[in-house]
Amino acid sequence: MIYDFIVVGSGSGGGALSYYLNKSGAKVLLIEAGHFYRKDTFPKTEAETSAHLYWGGGIEFGKDGKMGFLRTKMVGGSSIVYQCLMDRFDDIAFNDWKSESGVEWFNNAEMDKHYNQVESDMVLHTFVPEERNGNAKLFVEACDKLGYKWGNLRRGQSNCGAEKGNDCIGCLGGCFRDSKQSSLVAFIQKAEKEGLEIITETEINKVEPGNDTCKIHGLQNGNKVSFEGKKVILSGGAFGTTRMMTLSGFKSKFPALGKKFASHPQFMWLGFQNEPVDAHKKMFQAVASKDDSFRAQGFKLENVFASPISIGMLMNETGAEHQRLMKQYRYMQCIEVAVRDENVGEIMCDNKGKLTIVKPLTDQDKTRRNKGLQAIENILTTAGAKEIYKSNFYFGLHLMGGCVMGTDASKSVVNPDFQVHGEKTLYIADSSIYPNAPGINPGLTIKSLGHRLAMQLLK
Amino acid sequence: MANTFSNFAIKGLTKVGNIYCPKNDEFPAFSDVAGTYKLNDLVRNVPSDDFSSLNLVLAIFAFLPNFIINWIISKCQQSQANPSDGIIPSTLRQLNIGLRGLCYSIYYSEFNNPDFKGKTPLQVIDYSLNRITD
Repeated sequence: MIYDFIVVGSGSGGGALSYYLNKSGAKVLLIEAGHFYRKDTFPKTEAETSAHLYWGGGIEFGKDGKMGFLRTKMVGGSSIVYQCLMDRFDDIAFNDWKSESGVEWFNNAEMDKHYNQVESDMVLHTFVPEERNGNAKLFVEACDKLGYKWGNLRRGQSNCGAEKGNDCIGCLGGCFRDSKQSSLVAFIQKAEKEGLEIITETEINKVEPGNDTCKIHGLQNGNKVSFEGKKVILSGGAFGTTRMMTLSGFKSKFPALGKKFASHPQFMWLGFQNEPVDAHKKMFQAVASKDDSFRAQGFKLENVFASPISIGMLMNETGAEHQRLMKQYRYMQCIEVAVRDENVGEIMCDNKGKLTIVKPLTDQDKTRRNKGLQAIENILTTAGAKEIYKSNFYFGLHLMGGCVMGTDASKSVVNPDFQVHGEKTLYIADSSIYPNAPGINPGLTIKSLGHRLAMQLLK
Repeated sequence: MANTFSNFAIKGLTKVGNIYCPKNDEFPAFSDVAGTYKLNDLVRNVPSDDFSSLNLVLAIFAFLPNFIINWIISKCQQSQANPSDGIIPSTLRQLNIGLRGLCYSIYYSEFNNPDFKGKTPLQVIDYSLNRITD
């Protein structure tokens, strides 16, 4: 059977793209390497969430073992476990993309219609003061005293049950209310009802684009499988798509393949208060920094927290000292800095498919990190923290680049039409095409780029 | 083939766990509270070559005296606290995260030894979560 479109990967890009393609009546196949969880089958514990929903069984490391990368493996991809914060890019982000790639349509005027469509297909909610938990209140009060600007977050959610006492941190392992507007909820389950064909636990390892169709090959439960579509769109994310492209022999054709990797490195610090903060209760992330000077300095602050195992992982101490810190779990105030990093990282893949990630922090990255951490320390101190835990463990959630978009085939992998340079039947639509790090949550823009590609393919 | 810890590896993990999470004040010892029945499930997505290395290291720990394991863990901590380049510091950092991840995933979880009767670590830190599904 020859499909009209085959989409490989079901995260933010692949989920939205397959929804819009399927809606047109085209014959669409969505392929996912991971398992198909539903709201009533997501893992119920933090330990199982890490072990079951992530590639590598929790966390993957760069070659130097300094930075951890979190990469999900299930239908819906990262949108299942992230906070679903829906931020549009600003002119700074698009201008930098345009400058790096030469792509003229990277601007808000051109992207506006795609943002509008995606936003209209999701339920969005902007938090109000009454929804702030203890962590958010401390953040807002201290920022006000320091003159730092902050803003209420806008999130994709429909019915979180907070008024009934539901603690939203639980949905970091998959929303058991179908409230969070993940790709699964906002797009894939809707498309499934309208006939979208979905194949799971199938890992694609090779793509063979031709003039009329594109064949793809992989493994399903250890058995070789192949599929054929008039157009194939790779949406496996920065690591997954780069891996598929490299295994398919494109490295010799595209010197830029695997290059320009960025990840918004994130550092979390804790402040210990005298009274319980209960940062894990209620709506656990409602505000963030919205300060032009922070933006200009290349970082942003997020008012986040995590469940006990993850908080324990921030601490390098063992034994009694570790336990002394953890005993204060309910008294922890938590802030994270996300750095708008330089795209000097590289994703490499050997012929067996094993990935090696090189992601050094540049001097500029370190300067931005240090400025962000200083702002965190100011906030925690102003909020009255009696002790500050300065974790030096850092990680990347926003994995971007590796197959970047651009006008020059010697410096990019896909052209401004999302098409792999010189290939009529092979496209890429995910964060791997990001020319550099925007410094803004990438989810909404990934979906909107998926919408743009869908409109283009359906012309 | 599924990742399965050897009995020696589980014994080694228990020794490491008691260093990371000893009996201390209200906190129980790792060896008292940890439900090792969940271990193999927690590593089911770990690449087989990485798992084999971990399984081997833990099995070796089963035969090492505690002061040597303590020394290795302190080296792992130093590699994290003062990160330097090179294959040895990199390996130690990844071992540090791997061991802590495994220990804490059991210690701060609901997967307790069914025979344990005291306060669990989650109860000691007073952690509870409301899941309202309707």
